Amino acid sequence: MPWKEGYTSSDERSLSDADVHWPDGKKCCVSVVVDLSLAMDPEGLKASDFQNSTAEFGLTEGLDQILETFSRFNINATFTVPGAMAEHLSPTLQALHADGCEIAANGFKHEDVSNLEPEEERRRMDLATEILTDVIGTRPEGWFSLPRPNDRYAGGTFSPNTLRLISDAGYSYLGNGLSDDIPYYWVTDFDKSQSLLTMPYYYHFDDQFFLLFPKKGTGLEHADTLFANWVAEFKAQHKRGRFFNMTLHPYAIGWCNRLKLLEDFFRIMNDHDGVWNPTSKACAAYWSEAYPASSTLQLEPSIWKDYPGSLS
Amino acid sequence: MAVNGDLVREIEELQVAAGAYHDRHQFISDFTYPTDTRIAVNFTCDFDTMLLRRVLNEPPVQLAKGEFGGRVGIWRLIELFDSHGVKATIFTPGRICELYPKAVLAAAASGHEIADHMWEHRVPSEPDLELDHIIKSTEALENLVGKRPAGSRSRHTLAMLKKQGYIYNSHGSAAHLPYYMRDDDPDSDSWMLNLPFHYAIDDAMFFSFAWLNSENAAQRITNPERVLDMWWDAFLQQYEQGGYLNICLHPFVSGRALRIEMLDQLITRMKAKPGVWFPTCEEVARYCLEVFPFRGGK
Repeated sequence: MPWKEGYTSSDERSLSDADVHWPDGKKCCVSVVVDLSLAMDPEGLKASDFQNSTAEFGLTEGLDQILETFSRFNINATFTVPGAMAEHLSPTLQALHADGCEIAANGFKHEDVSNLEPEEERRRMDLATEILTDVIGTRPEGWFSLPRPNDRYAGGTFSPNTLRLISDAGYSYLGNGLSDDIPYYWVTDFDKSQSLLTMPYYYHFDDQFFLLFPKKGTGLEHADTLFANWVAEFKAQHKRGRFFNMTLHPYAIGWCNRLKLLEDFFRIMNDHDGVWNPTSKACAAYWSEAYPASSTLQLEPSIWKDYPGSLS
Repeated sequence: MAVNGDLVREIEELQVAAGAYHDRHQFISDFTYPTDTRIAVNFTCDFDTMLLRRVLNEPPVQLAKGEFGGRVGIWRLIELFDSHGVKATIFTPGRICELYPKAVLAAAASGHEIADHMWEHRVPSEPDLELDHIIKSTEALENLVGKRPAGSRSRHTLAMLKKQGYIYNSHGSAAHLPYYMRDDDPDSDSWMLNLPFHYAIDDAMFFSFAWLNSENAAQRITNPERVLDMWWDAFLQQYEQGGYLNICLHPFVSGRALRIEMLDQLITRMKAKPGVWFPTCEEVARYCLEVFPFRGGK
């Protein structure tokens, strides 16, 4: 087994609370990611994803409501969009960009890339990058591979090549990783000490898994649970001086009582001292400067031994 | 009678099956604790991080989810237990010694028990390979921490575990209190103490998406307060009757900051009651073996 591939994506231990520092003596970093994708299934966007009232709401009033909430609470957010939706949303994305929001990529059509051939995955990634660059006038810096409600697992999907392709395409960070609760480095090549900065994501703070999940009509509504998780994690991470990410979908969180919970959360957040709320891009820029992989990532050589009858 | 012969045979088969399974258990009927102790609470951590995901060939993101347990979660749990003077039991697959050796050593250095949790989190169906895995796991843990594991949490053949020096298993929930159990074969020398744990007192049931391959519509991911209430009730119920509680935690689940806070509250509340004992599983096992030994029989 080369290094610990197949078991491990980063080093053996995260930074301790005491070693985590934020700019200007801030105590805790809060990132808000808004996923504009309407893809429900692993295959990614399809016509029917747009042709329902929930989707229509998400791209119109739902988004407006969230933006209004953000502006009242001075929230900086990163908006992720599949390349295939960018032209359709062009005026919206341009307005968001002009307003200082970050626009990042969330796949080509937000499809499960697990089984794509490398050339095909690269072709899709390049086109997504090109479209987003044309629409917003500047290259996106973040690549996301967020989960869809009907995925088998709730962490996003990656092929064995995804991380390398993201690096090769010039992205400065991956937007969703589960191995830490602060930014960390996902190793892409152990021998060459290559890695990609990865921002933490956890499905317990992603609205789509609690609001009529997995399907509207038959899914279960646990807005209170979502809110309780946000508050509990934010407070715990604030105490530790670490990082909190919430991932939102306007079609879900933008709807009346749910939106009120988001506002309640921001009220609690703003009552805490020392919260730094950058876009993911700004957080990534800070982290790669303050904690470069060359000095932060502590890779131990593998001591793994292969045996007959044991998994390699 | 002849017209019902087939149905009667079905009843007999069920009775034989029920009797055979029942006969594999010996319960402790007169269980008591030493004076001033009302309950033993075992905090147990299944430190398998991503190994089960690897065994089930789940995709990289599932491995990364488990990896959190090794990089972050286990360290936080050690810190939490140490801050309360609680001695926990870390059920560790032997392979973890090659993936997260520092964390295992840190847990042992803090006085937590390092016990077995299957070489690579599976029990091979071939007996020779099963034994090979038990030996590999036992030796990996012994070589790393310098002490042979006394307990296992596994579905391993008890006779094999016993031959390797194990004194207890912690699996299944046929009773609230520790009990003795043997393998299917009544002639095997396999009676072993079992420290029961129940899936309702298991963090993954409440917080791990797609746990044991459950479908999306069957997800039960919830918030810490709700689990705190349930587990506090579980504790109180056992506390009142002088029982036993084994809380199963996974570092990749409970090591998340919001759940460490919840566990901190849970332990704080428990400690405020008189007579709560927080030993390792091995300590509970040795107490049971000495005071309520196996009474013999097949």
